[in-house]
Amino acid sequence: MSDYIQRLKDIVTDFDIDNAQAVAKEAIESGVDPVAAAAALTDAIRQVGDAFGKGDLFLPDLVCASEVLKKAFPVINEAIEKSGRKQASLGKVVIGTVFGDIHSIGKGMVATLLYAAGFKVIDLGINVKGDDFLKAVKEENADVLAMSALLTTTAMEQKKVIQGLKDAGLRDRVKVIVGGSPINQEFADSIGADAYGATAPEGVKVIKRLLGIE
Amino acid sequence: MRKGFIRKLEPFRILSNAQVEYIHSSTLEVLEKTGIKLESDRALKLLKENGCRVDFEIKVVKFPPFLVEEAIRSAPSSFSVKARIPEDDLHISPSTLYFMPAAGAKLHDERTGKLSIATLEQNNQGVRLCDALETVDFQASYCPFFELKDVKPVMLLAESQASIARNTTRVSRGAQATDSFIWEARIANAVGKQLIGTIEGAAPLCFPEDAINAAFEYMDNGFPIWATGGSVMGGSSPVTVAGASISNNAETLAAITLIQCYRRGHPVIANDFVIPMDMESGNLFFGAIGSGFHQMAFNQIYRDLYRIPTSNAMAAFPNSKLIDYQNAFEKTHLAMSAALSGASMIAFLGSVSQELAWSPLQAVIDNDSANIIGRYIEGFEINSDTAAIELISEVGPSPGSYLGKKHTRENWKKEYYVPKVFDRLSYQDWERTGKVSVIDKAKQRAEEILAEHNVKPLSDDEERQVRKILDDARAYYMKKGLL
Repeated sequence: MSDYIQRLKDIVTDFDIDNAQAVAKEAIESGVDPVAAAAALTDAIRQVGDAFGKGDLFLPDLVCASEVLKKAFPVINEAIEKSGRKQASLGKVVIGTVFGDIHSIGKGMVATLLYAAGFKVIDLGINVKGDDFLKAVKEENADVLAMSALLTTTAMEQKKVIQGLKDAGLRDRVKVIVGGSPINQEFADSIGADAYGATAPEGVKVIKRLLGIE
Repeated sequence: MRKGFIRKLEPFRILSNAQVEYIHSSTLEVLEKTGIKLESDRALKLLKENGCRVDFEIKVVKFPPFLVEEAIRSAPSSFSVKARIPEDDLHISPSTLYFMPAAGAKLHDERTGKLSIATLEQNNQGVRLCDALETVDFQASYCPFFELKDVKPVMLLAESQASIARNTTRVSRGAQATDSFIWEARIANAVGKQLIGTIEGAAPLCFPEDAINAAFEYMDNGFPIWATGGSVMGGSSPVTVAGASISNNAETLAAITLIQCYRRGHPVIANDFVIPMDMESGNLFFGAIGSGFHQMAFNQIYRDLYRIPTSNAMAAFPNSKLIDYQNAFEKTHLAMSAALSGASMIAFLGSVSQELAWSPLQAVIDNDSANIIGRYIEGFEINSDTAAIELISEVGPSPGSYLGKKHTRENWKKEYYVPKVFDRLSYQDWERTGKVSVIDKAKQRAEEILAEHNVKPLSDDEERQVRKILDDARAYYMKKGLL
């Protein structure tokens, strides 16, 4: 049994995308507790995330490790649902790159690191319309909305979405964090965001701080 | 064996075959009709025996073309040089590129640009720093510093070679002034390595006695020879690239012919160090386009026609007095054109302020540049794996991404060179982390290297021998009234 726990950790730290799904399936079929299996995967990706933060691993490692999770998690989540239990999460984050902007790398890094840290992440992708952000925040009952913009011209979209949250009466229910290379603290303050993260690892720290998680 | 950089890229040729032939035949004409002054009776006799016309009065030798062409044929196109440790042996060939540091008289202060005379200990540190830099394959002579506070000028070259023997395991070059070659060769033998010996001309069309004596001594020790003319365009050679190519080539081929007459098949590396004169000041005009053209033509002729490996030393020195954009540009465009046109060795790392200074920080920065220049000649692989056609199809149009693919993870480190000290932070990170510049980072890395990098020490016996050689040198110069 503990062999499977170790193997689940190994597929993440070995970036073994090809075998991820098969190993997860085998683990569940041979009776591994799905909650323990999920914990093994998140432990391993946290390890990868920490190594990335220290500069020992690089972006392709981080994203490949998260690809492993994308393959392995559906199998494990299905087993958790069947068992009627719930998976522990630090909170729910809706994330996306704003309308008019198709830059995905920075946003993807934040999503992966949040995932690694133990958040539930709803990644809406790139070029996300304001209404879609609002809809996701409402439907998912998100704790945090994280918006990325890489262009000075699209950064103002973040302001529009925050105004939309206010108009829909959702602003007090959700913390808003913004990021992207043209963004700085002054800009974040001026558009009424709760916080700003200069880098992906800092974004995760800021979100934890906003939610009172140490 | 040091790997250096392995050439896959076809060298860039700037001359047509007819132009190569024109420079070669014109060189033969200069050697035959004008001749070269060799200030050594021993050399004059040797060349006379080999069929040259020699005027012993004015010491001028006129070389028959057949002898020069025979010498070109007899010089090997590749050869090995033994270092203190086998990992540092060199294999000099047209398909290998090695870098070396430049030498500077004094120590450069990165904040003020001020120069001060270095101590022997600072010289030891400079050599040890170079030993830690992966692109330094070879240590130049009297390098890094050629003035030392605690060393008398006549002992400089011997002390410098001893400092190199103690602080790096690399092959180094021997110098030629004031009989230094006697002590330098003995030091190399004592520590079990070869030098690359030298014969450096005094243009126009002349080799001084010291240079010739040095070549004989180094050849007697079985050391390959670095043959170089070294003229100033507009001063000691014609100002035109074509004219300077012919006069400098006559000097270099005269040296190669002398070497081959003394020892047939003896390994030679032909060095190019030809710099235009700055017509405002009479100084050397470092970083000039004329040097670039000269070395590219030189490399092409020696590679394609003579099959003799070349070294280029023009990228060694910038006019800039600072670690700045001008410094980088003046050196890099010449190192780049040297590499692209087929040089086997390039003098490059650490110089600031013409030939006046050397900076450990600049050497650390230049190490990044040398890595990138070297990668150019290695080219890139094209095969079914690197072409990634199936992957391109799998990822498809946007929003597909290659970042989470095994192919990216497995290949990026092979394909990239990530500079160690160039700043690559985002603007925000740069601002947040104290606006650290490439110079700050180089300083930090130089300090780390000096704190951590150890060089295999000489054995007690080797150290005893080196001390004895230096004592002998002091006694020799004292007897001559030079110390």
